[in-house]
Amino acid sequence: MKVGPTTQFMINSSYINATKANLNKTKLGAKAGENLTGYVAGRPFPEEPDAKDPRAGEKLAWNYKYGVNWGDGAVISPFYWRYRNMTSGQIEKTIKYDFHFLNFMHRTKDAPIPEFTPNPSGLYRAIYVKANEPQDLKNTQLLIQRFEDDSKLDDAYLYLGFQRRVRRLAQGQVTDSFLGSDLMIEDFEGYNGRVSDMKWTYKGTKNMLLPMWNHNELKLSDEFKEADGYKFVNYSGQGGCFPDGTWQLRKVYVLEAVPVNPNHPISKRTFYMDAQLQNLNGAIDIYDRKGELWKAFSVGKSHPDHHLPVNKGSGIGIDDGVIMVDVQAKHCTTAQFKGQVDPKKAPPRLFQVQNLRGGD
Amino acid sequence: METKLNTGRRLTLIAAALSASFATQAWGDELPSMGEDYSPWQVDVTYENHTAHREHVGLAKFRNTLQAEVDKKFGSGWKLHSILRGSWDGVYRLNSDEYGKDAGGPIMLENTSGAGGSFAVPHGGSVVQLANSNFLASNPNDGMRVLGDRWHAADGGVTFGVPVRPCDVDSRGCRDFGGYGDKSLSELEAPEFNNRLDFVRELYVKKTFSLGDGKDLFLKLGKQQVVWGRTDLFRVLDVINPVDYSRNNIYDELSDIRIPMWIAQAEYRMGASETMQDRNFQIVWNFDQFRANNLGQCGTPNVILDAGCFFRGMANLWDNGGTVSNFAGGNTATDFGPHQIGIRNVYLPAWSLSNTQLGAKFEGVTADGLSFSVNALTYRSQLPSLHSINGEGTINPFTGTNGNLNPAIPVKSLIAFDMHFPRVNLIGGSMDFQLPSVGAAVRMEGAYTNGEEFANTSRTELYSKNDVFRAVIGIDRPTFIPFISETSATLISGQLFYQHIFDHEYHQAALGPVGMPDWEDNFIGTLLIKGFLRNGTLSPQIIFAHDFQAQATAMAPQVEWNVTNDLKVTFGANYKLAEGRSRWKFDDCRSCNPYPPFTGTEATVGVSSGLGGMEPLGRFRAGPIGAAFKENDIFVKLNYKF
Repeated sequence: MKVGPTTQFMINSSYINATKANLNKTKLGAKAGENLTGYVAGRPFPEEPDAKDPRAGEKLAWNYKYGVNWGDGAVISPFYWRYRNMTSGQIEKTIKYDFHFLNFMHRTKDAPIPEFTPNPSGLYRAIYVKANEPQDLKNTQLLIQRFEDDSKLDDAYLYLGFQRRVRRLAQGQVTDSFLGSDLMIEDFEGYNGRVSDMKWTYKGTKNMLLPMWNHNELKLSDEFKEADGYKFVNYSGQGGCFPDGTWQLRKVYVLEAVPVNPNHPISKRTFYMDAQLQNLNGAIDIYDRKGELWKAFSVGKSHPDHHLPVNKGSGIGIDDGVIMVDVQAKHCTTAQFKGQVDPKKAPPRLFQVQNLRGGD
Repeated sequence: METKLNTGRRLTLIAAALSASFATQAWGDELPSMGEDYSPWQVDVTYENHTAHREHVGLAKFRNTLQAEVDKKFGSGWKLHSILRGSWDGVYRLNSDEYGKDAGGPIMLENTSGAGGSFAVPHGGSVVQLANSNFLASNPNDGMRVLGDRWHAADGGVTFGVPVRPCDVDSRGCRDFGGYGDKSLSELEAPEFNNRLDFVRELYVKKTFSLGDGKDLFLKLGKQQVVWGRTDLFRVLDVINPVDYSRNNIYDELSDIRIPMWIAQAEYRMGASETMQDRNFQIVWNFDQFRANNLGQCGTPNVILDAGCFFRGMANLWDNGGTVSNFAGGNTATDFGPHQIGIRNVYLPAWSLSNTQLGAKFEGVTADGLSFSVNALTYRSQLPSLHSINGEGTINPFTGTNGNLNPAIPVKSLIAFDMHFPRVNLIGGSMDFQLPSVGAAVRMEGAYTNGEEFANTSRTELYSKNDVFRAVIGIDRPTFIPFISETSATLISGQLFYQHIFDHEYHQAALGPVGMPDWEDNFIGTLLIKGFLRNGTLSPQIIFAHDFQAQATAMAPQVEWNVTNDLKVTFGANYKLAEGRSRWKFDDCRSCNPYPPFTGTEATVGVSSGLGGMEPLGRFRAGPIGAAFKENDIFVKLNYKF
């Protein structure tokens, strides 16, 4: 493990300004799991979490939901996922995706601000995914729509290229292995579910090493040639499961999330949330239903000013390399990103069900 | 087009230049900007071998398919997609006794009266010989099978000989029934290489035009599949493209067996409104020349409902005459001459503007998340309808002339037909929604059609037009089943299909039921259980399908193994059970009395007494599962991407 200096990952000024402008306007619902009131934009609870506050964990969860994450609109294209046998190092499958992200509401940087209208369902955010390779998954598309009203279930639709048909996903399918990977849809971006789906507990603050780096200072992979010369993060270590990135000491909030649904396939997640970015994917321990460690998940981030030019000045920690290790099965899923904070590549029409039906 | 192509080439050069110039700078701060909405030609080539063994038959498929999928994004926003597919099935050479040039042979036909001293007579050897029935010179007793012998015995009913060899080997009964029925050995072996250029499986361009204010116009033009509806296996709304059942009966994915058509589709994507989250209006114009469902040529492994054999046998009867079992008196094999019974002409709709097909769909998502569509389509039936031609150009087998002995009495209910493909109008809709209380997603689909035609022995034309309502409800529920996998959910998907025929006609006559063989109300249920093991690389599944009225069941287990990213192997089987065979027999029109006084009284001309058997209408009661209940297959499929 190569350790580098702790660096500044300054969040973009529009989000910071929105946070300042709306300071102390946001209130929690009367009970855990209920919607916020008064939230406008920016970080809803920017204060330091207080261990004596029984709802401090919930506040951090809301900070994540309304965090910068990928900004108002962005794309990861291409996005290579690999399934690997950690013992033998065998690469079992390689999938080439495009992931698109769009915030419909609480936008702070890109027009329209603060939201797209009309929006009768109250869509807050959506993720659109398209698989381009391999042949058996080609043209598979996934659309996840999350609502402002946290009590509403996400809507998820899957277009299967080999069926040429859009299928609405049942709720249970977001907690199932996604196309055979070690991730479930609920794992996307660290946590891809509703705040109300979990019981959140703030467990304290620590300093710990997180994979955070400057992309252009790494030894990069020569695989997956891009026409523009972009290179992806390289992987090595046991089973080829670990990115060749640098780690830095970060202040993290330890946040525990226990599923409200007793039939959920995991018993809890422990998030180590970077205090500056307040993403949930810095480092995560995932426990199975028996309470034993099942998976270790982390997303390495690059500073945006040391990545593609389009990302410069975005004030977003650019997701750059995934480690998802199933420690029980000795199996891992790695993912290599070409993240682009470019709202032009996340137009609203991509996030409509009908767009899936127009697929090949 | 030329201009766009040139633009594409220019961009290729620019992209190459960018690539070359930035390759050495990738380490620096000035990483390159992103590519444009443009891509070079991308071609993915796959090879598939599908080998099947059928119980009591032997090799039933040795199909080798080479498929190229071609994609290209042009800088102008147009995208091209094409699938080129060619296959060669070696079964016709490797099992030529069953399906090739050596198939069939001389046959015997049932003669339950024992007239002539035998309970079975050879084709052309009946003791009852009607006018002009000396047909053996043009219709010899060779290269034949008995109609229906793949799924039932004659059992006192009517059967006749069906030529089963490819049409270049034996042209008897060969007709173009709508893309099948007249194929030579080479055309059966390599079915995509035909005059409709089926090797160009798909070829279309598409583009989204922004109209501003969040509205778009989406165009997709070319040879394509247009899929309506939300259900699997059942085609309630999904009827724009015909289907090729000759490829693997009902057991292939519909996307592999839909017959792509030249279609223009336009979608006005309106986006959200104050009350709906998504709104789209689609127009589909199928301007291609008509194609029927391919039901499979007789003598090939997949002949759904055994219909292709009935058609070929009937066409041969019309052209040449032949022997029909148990006909005279309902129990004596009878030799007919040409132009007396059978199928005369096939009227495939020619290309004309009025024969094109037009559909419209409004699809939306409500503010509460209900996804729905309302659909309307006017199209030509993809299934044939047989219209009795009665006395039109037919020869009375008792007199050797046209018409009845008493010219004042018209010929009625004669089992001599022309084949037609009527126009059908459909309105319908679909919806899906989540059912959080049970963790399931629900899919529903319904359609009402006007203009469909059904066999009907209570009508003297032997068919009737009936309105039909069809509906499907499907429920998908991912469920953790620990003994299958503790980490991946197993998908359980159930569907129930319902069909109701309006103004259904059915009554008991003196000798049995008369009217429409299709069930007035019927249900078919399906259940899919699919597991995902070893990170999805191993996927066992089983499908059950049960036809409630036919009392027939199919079970199709399979295991799909993704050996590597590029190599997939699938092992499987399908096995059928049919407990309802006694329910399938129906009026066969032996007692329809077309030619009084020889077949009955003038007062009852064209009126059936209901004498029946399994042929020819039992197939409609048995359905695709029942009619194939003896076709139990095991198979292995190997798919490799180069």
